[in-house]
Amino acid sequence: MAALAPRIHDAPDDLLAAIDYCYEQGWTDGLPVVPPAVDRVKAMLAADDRPPETAIAHHPATGLDLSLHAAAVNAVMAGCLPEYFPVLVAAFEAMDRPDFNFHGSTASTGGSAPLLVVSGPYADEIGMNADVNLFGPGNRANATIGRAVRLILRNVFQMLPGISDKSTQGNPGKYSFCIAERSRGNPWPPLCEAQGYAEGVSSVTAYAGGGFCNVENHGGNTPEQVLGSVADTMANYGCITLGQSVVILAPEHMRIVADAGWTREQAQDFLFRRAKRPIEGLKGVGKYREREYDSQHGGDAHALADAGFMHRGLKPDDILITMGGGDAGGHSCFIPSWSRGRGSIMQHAPIAVPANKRS
Amino acid sequence: MQLYSPLSTTPKRKAFRAPALASLDGLRIGIIENGKLNAEEMLNEVAALFVARNGCVVRTLASKKNASAPAPGNTLLNVAQEVDFLITGLGD
Repeated sequence: MAALAPRIHDAPDDLLAAIDYCYEQGWTDGLPVVPPAVDRVKAMLAADDRPPETAIAHHPATGLDLSLHAAAVNAVMAGCLPEYFPVLVAAFEAMDRPDFNFHGSTASTGGSAPLLVVSGPYADEIGMNADVNLFGPGNRANATIGRAVRLILRNVFQMLPGISDKSTQGNPGKYSFCIAERSRGNPWPPLCEAQGYAEGVSSVTAYAGGGFCNVENHGGNTPEQVLGSVADTMANYGCITLGQSVVILAPEHMRIVADAGWTREQAQDFLFRRAKRPIEGLKGVGKYREREYDSQHGGDAHALADAGFMHRGLKPDDILITMGGGDAGGHSCFIPSWSRGRGSIMQHAPIAVPANKRS
Repeated sequence: MQLYSPLSTTPKRKAFRAPALASLDGLRIGIIENGKLNAEEMLNEVAALFVARNGCVVRTLASKKNASAPAPGNTLLNVAQEVDFLITGLGD
């Protein structure tokens, strides 16, 4: 179906009155937005060399498309600078894949927020934060890219709280949930390299996150102790499901793990092996389901899956693990998946920067 | 100040309701359960009411692998050939 021309609104020239106008139209997440003035939107669109009407994502439930133009309008409203735009575009190109299931994760009672993890040199080029106060506040790029995701879900795809977004309790990440992978001092290859992108190509990984769990451990001095506390958090009765996981190790914790010579793959194996609960315990809290157990222990079962136990996820590489945060503090985090099974699988996409914008 | 609308520029899709059935008596029922806890049990209870009150027959029980995604097109096509109406549900 052919797209309609973008509509232009005549709003008051006074900036504060224009902000109020945006509220009156129902265009905000509850916070004030930058009025999407025509010249600002055009400057945002210059960060992508495709035609503005190019559709980058499609919402199967409503049939609505996200064009570059609409993405740019919402990016302006969120407070993005034009150089942030390629990250936002890549995020929606990743989320548009059916396996991500962004309708389900946005509409669900589960309170999901799309977590974006930006990996590679572009994060530094645009000034993203991978360091202290990783999840905020304080950094414009992190805050506004994540916020633009929410505004697009609301304004373009009409995922409106209480109407089409039925989150029982929501999630603070639904305002913004965007971080950069820390490259400084990171002993492991960056995610973008592990994902197979060419040198110099950055990526964004999108994950339907179900919240944020702090993992505090100031006494552990071995990988087993540090990752043991992470695994316990991943497998608590409130969190354990067949879904995927994101683990962001604090630099203090990462040093303990990497100084012992552990690779990312070893850490993933350890976490998968240890993040488990006996089925009798799951029955005790009413969470055991035979069909879930069968899917984890059937013919395709991973060799590390123990009989009589439910593990978190189906295999070790269901666990994305990297480093982020400030130098001080034994505070890592685990982000549980929204999906209790395989309803949303994390996706990544390359960040395409137009040739005339590359540094 | 001129502002662009942040809404989608896709024309609104038209949706239609299926015509109501003239009678439920003796019809064939299909059930699509979404895999959530107790979904199958609850939908079977609903179907049992139609069986008791209208003499309906339960012909098919189909399951979705992904509760939050639409039922696959071939599932709907197969079920549609065997039944007169479907019972399904969503939510927790």
